[in-house]
Amino acid sequence: MGQHSISSQNLPTAPVTQDFKSELLGLIPFLRAFARSLTGNQEAADDLAQETLVKAWQSRDTFIPGTNLKAWLFTILRNQFYSDRRRAWRQAPWDQEAAERIPGGGNDQSWAAELSDTARALRCLSDEQREALILVGAGGFSYEDAARICSCAVGTVKSRVARARKALIAILEGEDKLPSIPRPDEGDAAREIMAQLDRLAPNRSAEELARQQARRDKDSGS
Amino acid sequence: MSGAPEQRDWNLPKDQNPNREKARAIRARQRAIGRELRRMYDDIAQEPIPDDFADLLRKIDENDAQSGKRVS
Repeated sequence: MGQHSISSQNLPTAPVTQDFKSELLGLIPFLRAFARSLTGNQEAADDLAQETLVKAWQSRDTFIPGTNLKAWLFTILRNQFYSDRRRAWRQAPWDQEAAERIPGGGNDQSWAAELSDTARALRCLSDEQREALILVGAGGFSYEDAARICSCAVGTVKSRVARARKALIAILEGEDKLPSIPRPDEGDAAREIMAQLDRLAPNRSAEELARQQARRDKDSGS
Repeated sequence: MSGAPEQRDWNLPKDQNPNREKARAIRARQRAIGRELRRMYDDIAQEPIPDDFADLLRKIDENDAQSGKRVS
């Protein structure tokens, strides 16, 4: 990270602004990680993280010093993600290229093709469950901060995280489809997971399309 | 009746109760998934930051310097 440090010594900015900027810099890695979990695609994620930095910088006066800057940035990033996605769907609803950049739409590139089963299974969760699980389970946020970031109740985050964990296990173990069949050996398990994902993915896409359509209807109505 | 909970076999010691074993297996699986999630997230967070980000922040600085002259 050292070779990318930003030089800004010659600027007539107040020390507070400098602190804010260096804190922003330090949080870029986490913005990229959260963005990747939302978009499932590195390029789209980095675009999103950069948009977030610009937005954060423009709205820096609204940040209350002493509060959680990371949570504040994640909130901006998340809002930006959903508003970009709504706009993409409004402008070019059936544009294949745009659809491919949207998780759950088109040919999802996932976190990467070589990814672990867990990463693949993660893409099968609903957006709400996935983001809650990432924030709490990977990002180390408290349920309270995750609730603020997702603008929902703490109880809602808790139940989303719990359901996400359960769903991941069910997908990975194939338990939801195979309640009483003895555990297959490892080779069979891997094939079963892939078959499971194949079965789940089309449904998920259909649900996603329906949800997108509903959002678009709502937006065009307002 | 595949959905019915497994009956405990009272002849087995407590820690070999199939339900307990299943619960333990699920907890172990939860922990493994938790570790995997953190690993994926941390791997991305540890990637070197692309140069675009440095360029972007430099631009922010430049804009700032200009508006700084005008405003304050």
